[in-house]
Amino acid sequence: MSATHADGALPQEPEKATLEGRNKVLGFWLFLGGEAVLFGTLFATFLALRNQTNEGPTANELFHLPMTAAATLILLVSSLTSVFAVQALHRHKVAALRVWLMVTVLLGLGFLGLEIYEFADYVTAEKFGMTTSAFSSSFYTLVGFHGAHVAFGVLWISVIIGQLFKKGLTVVTAPKVYVSAMYWHFIDVVWVFIFTVVYLLGKVG
Amino acid sequence: MAHAHSVKRHKGLMDWLTTVDHKKIAILYLLAGGLFFGIGGIEAILIRLQLIKPMNDFVSAQTFNELITMHGTTMIFLGVMPVIFALMNAVIPLQIGARDVAFPFLNSLGFWTFLFGGLLLNLSWIMGGAPDAGWTAYTPLSTHTYSTTHGVDFYTVGLQIAGLGTLIGGINFLATIITMRAPGMSFMRMPMFTWTSFITSAMILFAFPAVTVGLVLLSFDRILGANFFEVANGGNPVLWQHIFWIFGHPEVYILILPAFGVISEVIPTFSRKRLFGYSSMVFATILIAFLGFMVWAHHMFTTGLGPVANALFSIATMLIAVPTGIKIFNWLFTMWGGQIRFTSPNLFAIGFIPTFVMGGVTGVMLASAPADYQFHDTYFVVAHFHYVIVGALVSGILAGLHYWWPKMFGRMLNETLGKLSFWFFIIGFHLTFFVQHFLGLMGMQRRVFTYLPNQNFDTLNLISTIGAITMGIGVIFFLINAIVTATKPKGVANDPWEDGRTLEWAIPSPPPEYNFKQIPLVRGIDAYWKEKMAGNKEMTPAEPIGPIHMPSPTILPFVMSVGIFIAGLGFMFSKESFSNSFMSLIFNNWIVVIIGLVITFGSMLLRSLYDDHGWHIEVEELEEEGVKA
Amino acid sequence: MTTADRQASRDVVKHSARHEGPQKHIIVFIFSIILTAIAFAAVAAGGVNPAFTVILLLAMAVLQVFVQMGYWMHLKDRGHMMPILFMVGGFFIAGTAIVMALYWVWW
Repeated sequence: MSATHADGALPQEPEKATLEGRNKVLGFWLFLGGEAVLFGTLFATFLALRNQTNEGPTANELFHLPMTAAATLILLVSSLTSVFAVQALHRHKVAALRVWLMVTVLLGLGFLGLEIYEFADYVTAEKFGMTTSAFSSSFYTLVGFHGAHVAFGVLWISVIIGQLFKKGLTVVTAPKVYVSAMYWHFIDVVWVFIFTVVYLLGKVG
Repeated sequence: MAHAHSVKRHKGLMDWLTTVDHKKIAILYLLAGGLFFGIGGIEAILIRLQLIKPMNDFVSAQTFNELITMHGTTMIFLGVMPVIFALMNAVIPLQIGARDVAFPFLNSLGFWTFLFGGLLLNLSWIMGGAPDAGWTAYTPLSTHTYSTTHGVDFYTVGLQIAGLGTLIGGINFLATIITMRAPGMSFMRMPMFTWTSFITSAMILFAFPAVTVGLVLLSFDRILGANFFEVANGGNPVLWQHIFWIFGHPEVYILILPAFGVISEVIPTFSRKRLFGYSSMVFATILIAFLGFMVWAHHMFTTGLGPVANALFSIATMLIAVPTGIKIFNWLFTMWGGQIRFTSPNLFAIGFIPTFVMGGVTGVMLASAPADYQFHDTYFVVAHFHYVIVGALVSGILAGLHYWWPKMFGRMLNETLGKLSFWFFIIGFHLTFFVQHFLGLMGMQRRVFTYLPNQNFDTLNLISTIGAITMGIGVIFFLINAIVTATKPKGVANDPWEDGRTLEWAIPSPPPEYNFKQIPLVRGIDAYWKEKMAGNKEMTPAEPIGPIHMPSPTILPFVMSVGIFIAGLGFMFSKESFSNSFMSLIFNNWIVVIIGLVITFGSMLLRSLYDDHGWHIEVEELEEEGVKA
Repeated sequence: MTTADRQASRDVVKHSARHEGPQKHIIVFIFSIILTAIAFAAVAAGGVNPAFTVILLLAMAVLQVFVQMGYWMHLKDRGHMMPILFMVGGFFIAGTAIVMALYWVWW
């Protein structure tokens, strides 16, 4: 049943054309449920320790809203471009799909660059490192876990772009695109909570 | 078919390393779980030998701490979890009428990751000392300040890796049960073991990420100098207790629910009656899972959360007695008026019920916060959780193993040896742990490596040790049984217990690689029984005979797990000062970590780049084998 | 054909009848930008009652997440009952952990 589509015309939603594809999408949803708990526990840790600054810098002293706003805008736009990628997928437009994924990767790289710059600035200029205080440890762990997810997403989507060049759009590559887009949206969702809870509420105090 | 991919079929050891067949992975889980269960059991016997008499010096206090820590950790994470996974792997796809699990590759990856995590943890014995901060690794005892050896590092890194494997396994079973059910097998027609495994997998999904975070935080504290639990720098040790128990309490339900499922399969089969109150059983399982997440702070009554929190968690905990009671009565009513056969699986199942009730009753006693101030950290608690985790859970597992052994291996276990192991096990168990309630009430603290004479502790401890050895003999009888049976020829019938009710008994024992030649049509609860009662010899097929698509065997899961193992070791020793300059070069510069990660991510990349088209078992081949589907 | 197979093939038929354009997603994007801007503006302006700001910020975040998960991750579409169930489960346990952190760590 799965093999029949592979040679012939692609169905409307190629990511759900095979049992393997549907399993992959469902399994990834389950994984995201677990990720929600993972980030929830990291948020809980941050919230418990956010005022434990150990005479080091406080949230209010550290954070610069323009930088956070820029990072937020970049990630939000990248989430939109990955929606466009999935739309191109559903229209079987491989060229457009590759372009939108590449834009997404570039935006992801931009976000990572900003975050690395931000962390480097905190460590060197503000003397705010992993070991400074309980607040610093929880900040770097939460935001760093998110950053690591972005980095993994960038690598992952890059590999998928490569496969789209080599194999084209098939019932095997389509679920990969769809699932990576889900992952990317989830990263964006986590960031919405990070900029709200860590940065904005950190400024409010 | 359009694709005729030739696939290399491995033999011998390579077959086992590369298998993606859920039935073989089940046997791997059983072997690995058996290995760790043996290690944990020996640790238990050593603990009891140390406590056999007052002021004993059989082992040192330090060794005793390592023994209790590793006993708890090994038994829970590496002993019973994989044996449960073995049963789930062996049975669930058969019970839902599927040819395979949803993710055969991930299934294999989950097993190997778990195994290498477990091996890493147990390497601690020969690499500078095992963890010694208790299986709960409470901070600050487990932080760098008070635990300077690498013991707790083995704990944090090993459990993270093993936990990853468990999480992968959980996701696989959830997806399998959601998408791979045979036509007609609606959720409310699923066998109870599949139901409880489904709920357990969901709990794994939501509980294990929490402990992963906890372990990451603790390892960051210890290795990278973070301050999550360092009070001097603003950290908070109570946070660890919360995170640990947000995982830890669901974990005990993760363990016991599949045992409930086993009992709900065994008792109806050997009573020749359908399970009493099937829907209430399902509902009770879901309720237990939900409440299981809402009660973690009852482990922390004496921490000082205050009366409001203690009262809330007290009430929530007592509530769990309601759905659990429903289950107990359902089992009793299933037996009521049934034609009960006292086979060895049924003996274990019937022994389960009173033992579990006793553990449950002490649980409700402990749930009362004021009383808990007296019970806390005494042998009363030890007795309570061993009643539920050993007396009940291990009985349930043994019931399941005796019950499904013919299906897994094609050979019946010897009934006499089975009954011997049951009687030794249950008598030994109650001897060991019943007296510990009174030791606790008399004030004997848990985790003490010895005690003074003439406090009324002496006789009861002696009885307890004798009981532990008796229980050990029961387990040895089971091992002998397994070995003796392995030497016998295969060839039991499809339905060796003759009263099988669910789909796994409709196919050969052991089943062929593809399980079902034709996917069966399910027409009610206890699908196979229903067909038998309608006078049919086999299930009605839901599809014509056709070529069967199978996934290819692959070594990648094994390689990926080796990579994670190397990276874990590298991370643990990244701050170590080595005398050997080569060692310090590769460890202190994160080179070992990078090598491990490259192996793992490289394997992931390979998996992604090369599509697995699998292979087909052709119709002719199916008919040649002449297998009854 | 398993039960899920047939369910999914029905879904595919349903979906193919619908040709969705980018407009809907651009609207969601603009909506998200507005919610984000309100949140940043409330903090940048300062002077607003802090308790009110906290509630406002959380409301903006939750609303944005709802809309994005509904439309961009297709949770509002047919055949997403299991994903919704497990996401709600995950967020619920996450919420439990956060309640723990806020009320039961320091006293």
